[in-house]
Amino acid sequence: MRRTVGLTLAALFTGTLAFFSIGLFSPVAHGVPLFARKTGLACSACHEVWPRLNDFGQSFRDRGYRIKRDRDAPVEQDPAYWPLALRTTAGYQFLRQSLVQTDAGPITTNTGTFGFTGLDVWAAGTLGERLSFAITYTPGLVGSGFQLGNNAGSSDLETAWIGIHDIGVQDWVNVRVGKHALDLPIDEHRQITLTSGYNLYHFHPSNSAVTFSPGNNQAGIELYGHSELSRVRYSVSLVNERDAPIFSSNVVSNPVVWAHVTGQRILENGVLVSVKGGLFGSLGWHPTSVSLLTPANPDGSAAGPAAPIQGSGSHHAKHVNYGAEGHLQFLSNANPLTLTGVVWGNWQEAALGGATAIREARWSGAFAEGVYTYNPRLSLIARYERIRTTQAGDPAQRQSAGDLTSVTGAIRHTFELTSRAEAALQLELTRSSSEAADGSLPSTYIGLLALDFTM
Amino acid sequence: MSGWKPALLAAMLPAAFALAQSRAGPAGAVPAAPAPAAPAPDATAPDATAPDATAPEPKPPNPPRPLDESRASRGKAIFERFCISCHGERGDGRGYSAQWLDPRPRDFTRAIFKCRSTPSGTLPLDDDLLRTLREGLYHTNMPSWAVLGDRNLRDVAEYLKTFSPRWKEEGPGDAIAYAPESPDDADSRKKGQSVWNALACFNCHGQAGKGDGPSVPTLFDDWGNHLVPFDFTSSPHRKCGNGDKDLYRTFLTGLNGTPMPSYADTLSPEEAWHLVHFLNSLRVDDARRR
Repeated sequence: MRRTVGLTLAALFTGTLAFFSIGLFSPVAHGVPLFARKTGLACSACHEVWPRLNDFGQSFRDRGYRIKRDRDAPVEQDPAYWPLALRTTAGYQFLRQSLVQTDAGPITTNTGTFGFTGLDVWAAGTLGERLSFAITYTPGLVGSGFQLGNNAGSSDLETAWIGIHDIGVQDWVNVRVGKHALDLPIDEHRQITLTSGYNLYHFHPSNSAVTFSPGNNQAGIELYGHSELSRVRYSVSLVNERDAPIFSSNVVSNPVVWAHVTGQRILENGVLVSVKGGLFGSLGWHPTSVSLLTPANPDGSAAGPAAPIQGSGSHHAKHVNYGAEGHLQFLSNANPLTLTGVVWGNWQEAALGGATAIREARWSGAFAEGVYTYNPRLSLIARYERIRTTQAGDPAQRQSAGDLTSVTGAIRHTFELTSRAEAALQLELTRSSSEAADGSLPSTYIGLLALDFTM
Repeated sequence: MSGWKPALLAAMLPAAFALAQSRAGPAGAVPAAPAPAAPAPDATAPDATAPDATAPEPKPPNPPRPLDESRASRGKAIFERFCISCHGERGDGRGYSAQWLDPRPRDFTRAIFKCRSTPSGTLPLDDDLLRTLREGLYHTNMPSWAVLGDRNLRDVAEYLKTFSPRWKEEGPGDAIAYAPESPDDADSRKKGQSVWNALACFNCHGQAGKGDGPSVPTLFDDWGNHLVPFDFTSSPHRKCGNGDKDLYRTFLTGLNGTPMPSYADTLSPEEAWHLVHFLNSLRVDDARRR
């Protein structure tokens, strides 16, 4: 029996390996659904590996999804063209978690499930010569099967913005209004990995009242610009703190300003293709005081707990993110090896750290990521991420509680690529650990073998 | 021979004759009224197709330049990532997206290029290929690839030469010379209009330059795809470049593979500049501005 299981696993492993190796010999890449249908270009023209953008794709996005050759407006397009794409990921996920608390003490759990991660319904394009838009609908899906990484929340518009471009000045003044992705060192919505995101984009110290996560799309307004070829870019967004439990009494409630500037130098020396650096940061204000309403019975006694009144928040305290990034692209634009390093710092005022916090909470982190594209069909991805609390708001609290380390490796073989659809097989492994308040170090292992497809 | 060539020849013979007449007298003597669309050949006109003993021997092609194999190899990888969906794996313009595109992508296997600085019928210079890669082509799906950097684009240009044996048999033509531009004034535009009429440009481009001339139904490229001539009234963006020099160059080189001929033997440099100024004045935006 054991021999049979062993042979089966070996056959499965060999078959998977053989499938990925096909990518070594099929370098021709074809299209990505939405924009490829419009432009005729291959997916690999805009994506280093889908969905991560390369320089041409970044430039295309910065220009408001315009090629700028007098064919961008909808009236210039084939009437049959409809700017819509769907994406989901279906497959098998293995999840192993250690030190899971039970009545009998901590145990290790194992879960192997078939399922899917969720669904993106994405529409984007141009409304006019200088108008662009994007809408992403993410329906809430119950019972997706995967224990982690599924989309079991409420239905939502993850993205909903309209862009106005070249306002007065070509390229340098553009505006997006609505729910948009902040300009981050690596756009989390374009990450290649499927089992883990960028923890830095979502980390909060213990007991923090702040809900602002740069990795989430934010409702607000973005002013951005770029040089002709997007070698120099800037972005400034003014948004509301997303999912804040209480909104403050201001013209812009719970305001957060996010800014990001990057510069790229093309070297073209045959080894190092380009060097890119950037700085980013945010400054936000979160209310620490709010008016309450306690429901009362007819006799005047309290009928329930006091509820905060939206729009009454006051006495703001500040929270700050800051950091720097570096990107090195080696080998070639066609089949690059891209190394990215990001360092990140954060602090927030003591008033945002809960009742026991008496000082600022501080944390810092970093991630390093490498993506090697052997050819447009076959890519290897590796990422290491680490977050450390450097000062807990509550001195009595264990400072390292919540500290996080994560390692992810993946191989992606895009085996079906036409201008109308794309399908890839991805094998991915993630190990992450986060220190508990008692000093223990529970770990999570996720293995995923899934078909990621879009049309 | 494609269907458009006899029609074009028929249209050009009297046009060339009319232009020759216009050179004999003052520019203002050229009739302002346009010549009839696609007129029948004039029996009294000299037969331009007859052998001319005094005509200079056609210049033999320049010797081929050796292919830079390493550049072409690097260019292949770039081509396969960025270009293949339209131009196809074999460079024959039959990528999987080609069927949806209008105009169709360039077929490199015949080494016929529209946008050149070299005489009609010759191969383009590397800089010509580079310019198209860098600038893209307006009113087509060909974007600007400038973001890739010149090194990559030169590699791609080298790789494009591997698709046709013609590059092994001959070298690029010699670049045409640019005469100094004459002043762009009302007189120049008026003379340009006379040239326009004399060459019967309106047969294809229409009386108002909107690209709606009577010959339009007969216009096809060398691959049999129907073509619509450029509309000079609507856009400042022309396929082979937006500058005045680009338009001047097009008159002297023609657009190979299309019915747009070279007027290098017909137009004087001054007339070419007059025509540039006249065509610029057709743009609706420009007219309003003036």
